[in-house]
Amino acid sequence: MKVVVDGVTLDLPPGTSAIDAVFAAGSDVPYFCSQPYMSPIGACRMCLAKVGAPRKDRDGSWILDEETGEPKIFWFPNLMATCTTAVMDGMVVDTRSEPVKAAQNGMVEFTLINHPLDCPVCDKGGACELQDRAYEYGEGVSRFVFDKRHQEKHHALSDLITLDRERCIHCKRCVRYFEEVPGDEVLDFIERGGHTYIGTLEEGLPSNFTGNITDICPVGALLDATSRFRGRNWEYHHTETTSLDDASGSAIVVDGRTGRIERIKAGHHPEINKTWIDDGTRFGHEYADAPDRVRRPLVRHDGRLVETDWADAMDYVAARLTEVNGRDVGIAIRADATLEEGVAARALADHIGTGQLDHAPRPAGGVIAAGGQARLEELAVAGAILVVGDVTEEVPIVDLRIKDALRGVTPPSLFDHGAPIADLRLKERAPRHAEILTVAAPLRVDLMRHAGRAAQYPAGGERAFFHALTALAEGETPADGDLGMPLEAATAAVDGLRKAETAVVVLGGWVLASLQATEAALHFCRAVGAKPMLLGPMANSYGLELVGVAPSHARYAYGGMLTGAKALILSQLDPAIDPAVAERLDKLELLVVHASFLTATAKLADVVLPAAIGYEKDGTVVNLEGRMLPVRAAPVDAGESRDLTGFVKAFGEAAGQRLEGRSVKSARRWLKKGLGVDLDALPEHGGWAPAKRGPARVAVAVHEAPAHGGALRVPTMVRAEVLDRNPHLRAATGGLALGLHPDDAAALKLRSGDEVTVPVAGVPRRLVVRPSEAVPAGLATVPATPDEPVGLVPIDLKQIALERRALEVA
Amino acid sequence: MDLPTLKPFFEDKPELLQEILDRYPPNGRRSALMPLMWEVQRAERHIGEARLHEIAEIVGVTVTEAKGVMSFYSTFHEHPVGRFHLQVCRTLSCKLAGGDELYRALVEETGLVSGETDAEGTFSLQNVECLGSCGTGPVLQVNDTYHERVTRTRLAELFAEMRAGREPVPTRERGGDNVSADKAERVDAPDGTSVDAPDGTSVDAPDGTSDEEGGVA
Amino acid sequence: MSTVADKPAAITSRFDPRYEITLYRHVGVDGAHTLEHYRARGGYRAAEKALTEMTPTQVIDEVKASGLRGRGGAGFPAGLKWSFMPPIDGRQRFIVCNADESEPGSFKDRYLMEDDPHQLIEGMLIAGWAIQATIGVLYVRGEYYVAYERMRDAIAEARAAGLLGRGVFATEPDGEGDEATPASPGFDFDIILHRGAGAYICGEETALMNSFEGLRANPRLKPPFPAQAGVYGLPTTINNVESFCSVVHIVERGGAWYASMGTDDSKGTKLYQLSGPVARPGVYEMPMGATFRELIYDLGGGPTEPAKALIPGGSSTPLLPWSDETLDLPMDYGTMARVGSMLGTGGVIVIPESQCMVDAMANVVRFYAHESCGKCTPCREGVATWLPKMYQKLLAGLGTRDDLTLMEEMVRNLRGTAFCPLADACAMPVAASFQHFRNEYEHLVDHGAPKYPTVSRWAE
Ligand SMILES: Cc1cc2nc3c(=O)[nH]c(=O)nc-3n(C[C@H](O)[C@H](O)[C@H](O)COP(=O)(O)O)c2cc1C
Ligand code: SF4
Ligand code: FES
Repeated sequence: MKVVVDGVTLDLPPGTSAIDAVFAAGSDVPYFCSQPYMSPIGACRMCLAKVGAPRKDRDGSWILDEETGEPKIFWFPNLMATCTTAVMDGMVVDTRSEPVKAAQNGMVEFTLINHPLDCPVCDKGGACELQDRAYEYGEGVSRFVFDKRHQEKHHALSDLITLDRERCIHCKRCVRYFEEVPGDEVLDFIERGGHTYIGTLEEGLPSNFTGNITDICPVGALLDATSRFRGRNWEYHHTETTSLDDASGSAIVVDGRTGRIERIKAGHHPEINKTWIDDGTRFGHEYADAPDRVRRPLVRHDGRLVETDWADAMDYVAARLTEVNGRDVGIAIRADATLEEGVAARALADHIGTGQLDHAPRPAGGVIAAGGQARLEELAVAGAILVVGDVTEEVPIVDLRIKDALRGVTPPSLFDHGAPIADLRLKERAPRHAEILTVAAPLRVDLMRHAGRAAQYPAGGERAFFHALTALAEGETPADGDLGMPLEAATAAVDGLRKAETAVVVLGGWVLASLQATEAALHFCRAVGAKPMLLGPMANSYGLELVGVAPSHARYAYGGMLTGAKALILSQLDPAIDPAVAERLDKLELLVVHASFLTATAKLADVVLPAAIGYEKDGTVVNLEGRMLPVRAAPVDAGESRDLTGFVKAFGEAAGQRLEGRSVKSARRWLKKGLGVDLDALPEHGGWAPAKRGPARVAVAVHEAPAHGGALRVPTMVRAEVLDRNPHLRAATGGLALGLHPDDAAALKLRSGDEVTVPVAGVPRRLVVRPSEAVPAGLATVPATPDEPVGLVPIDLKQIALERRALEVA
Repeated sequence: MDLPTLKPFFEDKPELLQEILDRYPPNGRRSALMPLMWEVQRAERHIGEARLHEIAEIVGVTVTEAKGVMSFYSTFHEHPVGRFHLQVCRTLSCKLAGGDELYRALVEETGLVSGETDAEGTFSLQNVECLGSCGTGPVLQVNDTYHERVTRTRLAELFAEMRAGREPVPTRERGGDNVSADKAERVDAPDGTSVDAPDGTSVDAPDGTSDEEGGVA
Repeated sequence: MSTVADKPAAITSRFDPRYEITLYRHVGVDGAHTLEHYRARGGYRAAEKALTEMTPTQVIDEVKASGLRGRGGAGFPAGLKWSFMPPIDGRQRFIVCNADESEPGSFKDRYLMEDDPHQLIEGMLIAGWAIQATIGVLYVRGEYYVAYERMRDAIAEARAAGLLGRGVFATEPDGEGDEATPASPGFDFDIILHRGAGAYICGEETALMNSFEGLRANPRLKPPFPAQAGVYGLPTTINNVESFCSVVHIVERGGAWYASMGTDDSKGTKLYQLSGPVARPGVYEMPMGATFRELIYDLGGGPTEPAKALIPGGSSTPLLPWSDETLDLPMDYGTMARVGSMLGTGGVIVIPESQCMVDAMANVVRFYAHESCGKCTPCREGVATWLPKMYQKLLAGLGTRDDLTLMEEMVRNLRGTAFCPLADACAMPVAASFQHFRNEYEHLVDHGAPKYPTVSRWAE
């Protein structure tokens, strides 16, 4: 369609909004209420422009201007909000004439009359859309001489978000966001007219996706509580990188100042997280600055760990390693290490000459499906989805993309200025197609609220569940009880998957924990022609599998090396939380621990090397759909912390060897040779990882789920192992929860909020009791940590010890 | 104040609840929000937070949303209004007929200003906007009932009734040129003549029509 | 060439012997709200005719021929609106009656519902048939409790009598052989009565739909228009109470009959409402195009004190200065637009000489400020916040000439910039008061006191 904006002629697809036409033409109108990926509502009235269009005569020909002979432009009588106006063929938009300027002035003036003049003390100063627009489009002086509206300035909407009600300009972005994106309607306007304010009666904003409102609030009304009063926008250094908090590969921006990470904001990846991240990713950064962070290498002297430098520590390691047979050395790294770190780990293993190389947590069947992974973009448009797991906690972005599918809106095409500012296909309160979604889990999970069908199969019953579904798909009658839902519902779910053009089966950790369940699930996918999406337990599970950070034999897997190896090099893993393992580790000939904190394992180590965490590394990860994404280090002060490439470099120097993977660069050279990918030339939004070639080197069980047990390890959006070092998240979540059915809790005389210690699979865990109807009677839930992947484990509730009683609520 | 132990309002009214839900099509459960609020408010003179939770749960929305809806409308009250909720219209036509003076007389009579309820819970005074009775102003709405063309004399009578604990009997004019004073008719208090006294006893509205009320000048 | 004689002059005066009271004939009559009364006087005959003798298209054509324009304020042609409904596609369709009547100066719908509820039900039934909607929604403003009860009872009566519910006007096969008319299953139609709770904006059609759906009553974006996506996102037509009532008579007596009353662009009969200091305020039915003089003097008995202005159609319509020319203007859509105002709801308010105009406008502005929904910036900040504060300042005697300029500019910024017409509804009368009575504003700011001090009109 031909559209003319301020004299610039454009050819735009039908359905484009006039505001996007304006930006596409390089012109500008201010706006506050529109927000990419959300419905345009035309509430702020900032984006007004003069709009006209030609008209057709009854006979279908254009009515011509008598003077020019061109189609005559009929101007709309009023200025139009461009965000809610669709372009028409021949439309003319004028953003520069006097009436438009006067209206923009007027709207800025209206917007400012009740807005406090506290820019100098506002966190948003320098990054405030209102401030910018007021400079560009305002008159500079206020003629409003009255007292401004006074409202609460420090209202804690939750432990994570602070609201300054005076600053709110009622753009409704936050309210619409909750309804349209996660579908958790926990925030709304209260009162009406000039008294309208936003508020909640839902204590603590129960949603995993609350922090995004702090990104989209155009003013300083909604602020991230972790960074409030910590700095001004222009003082922050912004690093665009990829989150290592889960396998989604979400784009984030790390804002740092004077060597500290102050906050995390969502980045923009149109095909992954759009502009959203979950609260675990956003607010879970405080541990990076925890005072007990290990910042320098430590070497044990006379039983005590003493600070030293890398060269000294590595000389010690290299020397001690010569005393051990290389084959007896085990190397295990955590599954959020980068590809480059994976290369480094392999190089180290090759140099030492050991096949005992693994990453953890690693699901039994791996995370690269044989039949091709579903991409997030496919999930977002799928016509049928089956989820087995608790995606909202495991990989929260997957939850949001499923909700895209429920709303039935296909991803927009992008303009040069990015995602459409006003995508007219998006509507407030659009109906959600719950019927396309089936969610199955051994307990009630959040996504079931949005699902047309929910199945609750017995804990540990993933394999039986898929066998039963496959039987249904093949026209047989499955065994009773395995499905966890009525037969008709299951039949409908299977039919839906079979018939949909794009069908996706999302497999969470409970499935992947078992090789058989994984195989059963993949078999079912083939039977109905659905694409599987395997939720890797950590940020680079896919990538580390791809580069073969994996044992050559089941015995040499992580679990095996903990018992079999004589020396261990562990990166960011903490197996010693299990007292039985600790006892064994203590007897090793050499224990080298690469860690960010003095963990239980580090405390036993001969050498502790300070490890960089996700925000401090450069490298690449491969997300759950197989997309290679860049990880970039923020300029933060992490002492002498290094990632594994730095580790290997130092080791190589001590051993007099130039090892592959001694730097990101060297690792990439290897990756180019080995995998044929040039990571230095990775496109802005990442690139697809090559298909995995060769035999499945990793199809060995690391943690085979026990057949039965009393506790179910559940995924959490937060990093459980460092929750105590993330004070805001800790307050918001109330701590790591021991989920119990209310009757079970009552039988144990426990009430909500009680702190207890209880042995879970032999590991004493300190947890906060949370009775919940969502947990089936007889089962307990405990959050998983990287060293304890999800799945069923034994729990000894008889040994439960009450540490602290919750306050009695009146 | 709502205590957590408050018995759910609709617990013993399953037929009423079902009737209200049945009014709307299956995809319109949320439409029952306002009717349910009306039921609670007519019975309890406000919609307390516990009730709001109950209603939100019934229609399947968050309490926040229920609150957003409730607070939008000026006749839903968060705090209990008095037994006689005096709502005086002060919009233009009523103003031209003495609405402001009527309001001031009400302030004097009750000692309250708009938005207040007296300690005994007898009277609440509230300024309201146009009640759609512009031809017969000034209008005073007492609870659900309009009292039209309220003169100083009539106001005194109304207070005599209310202070005696009785719901004053309104007269209603039927607008238009078909109507004259002698045609003014009595309407009963909404839903019959009995009104609940605060202590739960029932008081009958008195009989008899006041005849000097209404009529054209 | 046609002569005057070819074309009988339309009835534009109440005093034309051909004119008869139509919409309002039962109002003010004892017991008129009962089904018995209504049926005894020919009630539901029009509906029976429409449903059994006319196709939906014929009904729409008849309404088009009548020239009926919506009586809710905007005056959109009713028949045309009905024809916007999409083709029948199996989706539920709704006919909605806007009985939120809240515009200051308007009070006709209330009496129609209180005294003649069956006329409205019949009108909705006919409209439902015309657009093939089986559910009617009647949204009554919360304060109209008597009207609500009367409508509730009337709906129950109509249901009991088979006039609402399944198979309205179903017939048995009739006669034998060739002449036999086939059985008609009748029309399924019922009305949901919904009560508002005090928000003027619910009169705006899309806000009304949100309110009905249990949402905050903010107006919705248009397009999509109600015909495409109305109640619950389904095809919907919405009209005012008086519009529906008019349809009954249009069907009964024909569009041509209806169109024989009124002026070129405004047909039929209309309920005008008169308030302010006049001898007999009230609702008066007159043909379209009757003059202010006829309404105010002949029917209303004239002002009881000298007047200086009148508001022609509810408080949102720009006032007109009191003059012989004004009084002789026909009250129709075209004329009102020509003189820079609007017919609106036909709610005429007489403003007496002794009433300070600034004070009167402060009152009007306060109304819109109170009723602004808060969705869009100009309305929330301009109408609901700033403008009323400016009036407070003026009335406190603290205003300056600059303030007057500022107010005029603010009002210009409010015109046509807001999301819905509520801001215009506030800005237009204020602009008109500046146009015609700036001297009163100036007097106030120059002297710190109004030209006309407050007088009490409260009757003892
Ligand atoms: C702010 C506002 C308030 C309105 N209030 C009413 C009202 O109270 N009653 C009404 O019938 N129409 C009202 N309308 C007009 C309606 O939006 C709508 O046009 C009307 O109900 C259509 O019916 P009609 O075509 O029969 O007039 C209002 C419009 C606006 C913008
Ligand atoms: S708090 Fe921020 S995002 Fe929410 S409505 Fe106000 S200005 Fe908009
Ligand atoms: S009205 Fe807010 S962006 Fe258009």
